[in-house]
Amino acid sequence: MDESRPIFIQIAEQVENDIIDGALPEGSQIPSTNEFAAFLRVNPATALKGVNRLVDDGIVEKRRGIGMFVTAGARERLIERRRAEFAAQYIRPLIVEAEKLGIDIDELAGLLRAERIQS
Amino acid sequence: MTAVATAPVTETASRFRPHEIWRIVRLHTVNPSIFFGVPWIILGGAWAVTMVIALILRSAGISDAEDGFRYSWAVLSPQWYLIVVGVQALAYTFPFALGFGATRRDFWLGTAAMFLFVSIEMAAAIATLVQLEILTDGWWVGAGMFDALWYGIDGWLVDFYTTFALQLLVLFIGASITTVFMRWRMKGMMILLFGAVAVVLALIAGLTFTESWPAVFDWFGSIGLVGVFTVLLGLAAVCAVAGYLVIRRATPR
Amino acid sequence: MTRTVVRASGLTKRYGSFTALDGVDLSIEEHRIYGLLGRNGAGKTTIMQLLTGQIFANGGELEVFGRTPAEHSDVLRRMCFIAESQRYPEDFTPAHVFKSAPWFFENWDAEYAERLVSDFRLPVKRRVKKLSRGQLSAVGVIVGLASRAPLTFFDEPYLGLDAVARHIFYDRLLEDYAEHPRTVVLSTHLIDEVANLLEHVILIDQGRILLDRDADEVRGSATTIAGARRVVDDFVADRPVIGRESLGGLASVTIDGRLDQAERIRAAELGLELAPVSLQQLIVHLTGTDLAGTTEQEAAA
Repeated sequence: MDESRPIFIQIAEQVENDIIDGALPEGSQIPSTNEFAAFLRVNPATALKGVNRLVDDGIVEKRRGIGMFVTAGARERLIERRRAEFAAQYIRPLIVEAEKLGIDIDELAGLLRAERIQS
Repeated sequence: MTAVATAPVTETASRFRPHEIWRIVRLHTVNPSIFFGVPWIILGGAWAVTMVIALILRSAGISDAEDGFRYSWAVLSPQWYLIVVGVQALAYTFPFALGFGATRRDFWLGTAAMFLFVSIEMAAAIATLVQLEILTDGWWVGAGMFDALWYGIDGWLVDFYTTFALQLLVLFIGASITTVFMRWRMKGMMILLFGAVAVVLALIAGLTFTESWPAVFDWFGSIGLVGVFTVLLGLAAVCAVAGYLVIRRATPR
Repeated sequence: MTRTVVRASGLTKRYGSFTALDGVDLSIEEHRIYGLLGRNGAGKTTIMQLLTGQIFANGGELEVFGRTPAEHSDVLRRMCFIAESQRYPEDFTPAHVFKSAPWFFENWDAEYAERLVSDFRLPVKRRVKKLSRGQLSAVGVIVGLASRAPLTFFDEPYLGLDAVARHIFYDRLLEDYAEHPRTVVLSTHLIDEVANLLEHVILIDQGRILLDRDADEVRGSATTIAGARRVVDDFVADRPVIGRESLGGLASVTIDGRLDQAERIRAAELGLELAPVSLQQLIVHLTGTDLAGTTEQEAAA
């Protein structure tokens, strides 16, 4: 829990991460709002907001009387969205930092390849 | 979107609310030793002391100690404690009850009811003990504790009435004075104290200068024992009413 | 649609020449957890005492469940007020307190109270006089939770509770609140501990409301920007500044507002550091202090 962003966004993002990682496969059930609230020690209304956000984005759906389930195609949708944001979120800051340190584009590419091989 | 809370509360139409008043009585008895335990322990202790004195006198061969015992104040021994009980009912039980959602009005009515019960209980018990003491001729050892002062002279009913009046006054006096503190705090208490002293001094001075003391004593004589204690009962009623008026705007802190 | 359970306008309370509350307007909606934050003497306890009919206002209007609360038992029986320094009758034990509670709170759950007694390890037969500060607070907390009163006020009841007990309280509160929704108003100095429990924050300072907003809005609603002083000043030129610190050529400025993606990138390009502002820090900036005024507030850890 960091303080820079509202908690309900962090809850939503955590679920999204789990879906992308595969920890929450499509069709599986996610914890209930109250379970989130109790586990994270946050207000149930906050947890509800986070879950509603996922519902609004079509990542998760409510099955009356049973619970909340990951929708089909959720993983693809999330990956699509993250791809679109990838450049702005990760590449830009990388370039800014590289420029600060005087690392030019070729050196940067070389570093990327080297890191890739290692991991 | 928020809605106005329209008539969400069912107003209790009747102003007589037995449950709210009864729970205050129960609150006072949650710890029964306060009103019913300690006074009897005190009386028991005074009785034990009286018995010991009687036995000593007996063994020393003195047999006309009855007159001495007539002036024994032992029967009134719990009264100082009961003034404190009255004070604490306001000092502690009142803020507690208020914190739990009781109204001041219900608290005073419930406490007054409690005082009534206790006064009836004490009066009946003591009047009966007076008769028992007379019947057993001083607990078989010539001791005099209950058949003392003004007791044992005019029968059970008078003894009941006098004890009831005195007990009610003792309880209400402590309680009603404390309501003054609860509402006006130190300043109020000071004014009350100085005011009371001033009034008493003025009364004494007035009576002295107009040489009316004999008239006062005559008057007391004429109204008799029952009359005097009716005055005390009247005073208790005054305290009860005054306390009710003061407590209506009293605050726990 | 939620109901308004408390509505106050122009609420004023004076003690002699000292104005404890100065024309306070506020409304409390049902089924939320409110945080009432502020320094010692800011007016938090006064508000709670007014709302629960313990004291009388000098001015303004106040409605709780549609009526003025003082002396109206139909309003009072739906509230539970756990005060910081609650007095108990002579020789009362916690057992006596829990025995009399159901007479005043119609939703009292005795079994729940028993479970809480063992959670907090409270000696119920020991006289209140002989209880430690923490145990005394536990009595209040248990009453507040087990009363299930529709409107419950906790006025810093966790002073004296150690960190473990405090977290037990937060957990039980959330649990019970989820299962039995009611309106809870919590006043505290320990903002960071409760920040995540709150749905709505009311900040009061010197008898006036400084902030009355949804907690999620407040969280992350401010940003601290640090770096070379001139660069920072330039960056925040036309933004509302709520705090400023400088050391030599460096400056750290807190602004009211979040930076969007583009601005974040620009800040990074300018070599500026961005830092989040917690609820506690935000309040420090707004009131100029961390609210824990006296040493008495140090949590016994």
